[in-house]
Amino acid sequence: MEPLTLGLLVAIATVVVLFSGVSVAVGLLIVATLFLWIFDGARSLEALPELFYAELNSFALLSIPMFIIMGAAIASTRAGPDLYEALERWLTKVPGGLVVSNLGACALFAAMSGSSPATCAAIGKMGIPEMRRRGYPPEVAAGSIAAGGTLGILIPPSVTMIVYGIATETSIGRLFLAGVMPGLLLTLLFIAWAIFDTWRRGAASAALSSAKYTWRQRFEILPRVLPFLAIIAGVLYALYGGVATPSETAAVGALLCIFAAIVIYRMFNAHDLWIVLRDSTRESVMILFIIGAAGVFSFMLSSLFVTQSVAQWIAALDVNRWVLMAVINLFLLVAGFFLPPVAVILMSAPILLPIITSAGFDPYWFAVIVTINMEIGLITPPVGLNLYVINGIAPDISLRQVLVGSMPFVGCMILAIVLLSLFPGIATWLPEAVMGVAL
Amino acid sequence: MKPTPVAHAPAGANSGAQGLRTGDQPPLVLRAIHAISTLFGVVAAVMILASVLITCHMIFVRGVLGRSTVWQTEAVIYLMIGATLLGLPYVQKLRGHVGVDLLPQMLPPLARRVLVVIVMLATIAMVAAMVWYGWEMFHLAWKRGWKSESVWAFPLWITYLSVPLGFGLYLVQLLADLWMASFAPHQEIPDPHLERSPD
Repeated sequence: MEPLTLGLLVAIATVVVLFSGVSVAVGLLIVATLFLWIFDGARSLEALPELFYAELNSFALLSIPMFIIMGAAIASTRAGPDLYEALERWLTKVPGGLVVSNLGACALFAAMSGSSPATCAAIGKMGIPEMRRRGYPPEVAAGSIAAGGTLGILIPPSVTMIVYGIATETSIGRLFLAGVMPGLLLTLLFIAWAIFDTWRRGAASAALSSAKYTWRQRFEILPRVLPFLAIIAGVLYALYGGVATPSETAAVGALLCIFAAIVIYRMFNAHDLWIVLRDSTRESVMILFIIGAAGVFSFMLSSLFVTQSVAQWIAALDVNRWVLMAVINLFLLVAGFFLPPVAVILMSAPILLPIITSAGFDPYWFAVIVTINMEIGLITPPVGLNLYVINGIAPDISLRQVLVGSMPFVGCMILAIVLLSLFPGIATWLPEAVMGVAL
Repeated sequence: MKPTPVAHAPAGANSGAQGLRTGDQPPLVLRAIHAISTLFGVVAAVMILASVLITCHMIFVRGVLGRSTVWQTEAVIYLMIGATLLGLPYVQKLRGHVGVDLLPQMLPPLARRVLVVIVMLATIAMVAAMVWYGWEMFHLAWKRGWKSESVWAFPLWITYLSVPLGFGLYLVQLLADLWMASFAPHQEIPDPHLERSPD
């Protein structure tokens, strides 16, 4: 059979299998096994465990559980509310008021925890009731936190970026840097829309903060907020200073975060520590299982020549590279509606990356584009996790209102993709300035 | 505070009998399987914690003491592989393996139960194949005494064992879930995936 027809069959089979409700990892294994069995013979199945094992046999993968532990340790403490408090006290004079501190807190907490739902929950629990008390419309309060939470997978350190780096064999440090400026751009776009929306809904007075804080109040909260920020900054500094690999710096960061949680937040309780460890284990095992399965899946794709022929076919089509990029974006967007970011990246990266690079796009720039597409999936139905998290912490705001409030932020993200396409330097400038031009 | 809040239901740590009410205890075999899965979940967590400490130790030895390290990098990789595989049954018990459950949720209860059972049977067949071929991989390494190609020369059968063992325990947990999905009252069919997204 033609590899291209085979590719189409694989795509159809993958969609059918995944929509049956099977777990993503097992689904990928099933599709890969079936195609290897039918087209390569039963003997090829003997290699299954070796392929799976070989994919996990890498020191770079260690950074995944390490960054997850860092995030879980931070999220288990009161760091989120404290951060929120701190920004609220320091940013009272900034025009726009509370929603600015909320989105700023989201961006910072996103950087620390690397998790979108954790960010939504940590900041939203304080932020949403407070914004509503000050007269912000519920749509703005809910939408801004839902959108702000998605920054977690773009602003470094981000597990999504690590997975992209592993799937495409690109530098994780460089990927992290590529996410910084687009993360700031998105934060600013979110803030701009939130202020405009508040004004448009006739609640402009709410945005003019009346709260007053003394300098004493402003400084007394810092000791509770700065340690985690310092750890993250230290980890990133060590990463770029070339002192150690991402896995090593993340391991030190994980240990320090656990210590900080114990010392600063007095988490002496063994049960609380176990919860951190348990949740980290659950998430790490889930992601690493998908990574192992995706390794088998991409082996199947390349051993049946699907990867190569799809890339050749696209190259032969000779379409405009921006039309190509638009189609890829559409694909990522639709995939992100249904699948978790990690799964989309692991499944599509082996096929997409050769196409992307041969069309002359920068793989680091593309990582940012992929991630923003995945962010959209987090606040759109049917599986937009952040929407449900918001609905869980503010049950009196209907899911419809959360959705109405969030949709304009999807517009902001699409605008960010357009801006990044017009000015790729937003993503590529910082990594090149810090680490030199990519080879 | 729960680090990753879930919209639908808390991923029960203590839900040895997921979804069953009191007075309606599942058979002893099922409870034993849940206990074994939890035990290996703890083992996986300890392995991850150990890899944190070993990596920090390695950095200390190399960076501060200025000596070269022999076994640390390799040990951490084996621990990661072990944690992933041995953690599979526990994560299955916590419903932590993500998937797309849009279609199953739209189906009426009977059709949903049929689909859930079919999906579980397919999963069981796949995992059983991994146990089978994984055992052969382990057996070969054991019989021929394969060692890693490093100064440490770690016997590979130990780490290869995690493949059939992890998938084997996962298989047992899946069989327990299949029993639940087939015979438990329908409102108690375990949700295939409590968490939908890792991020």
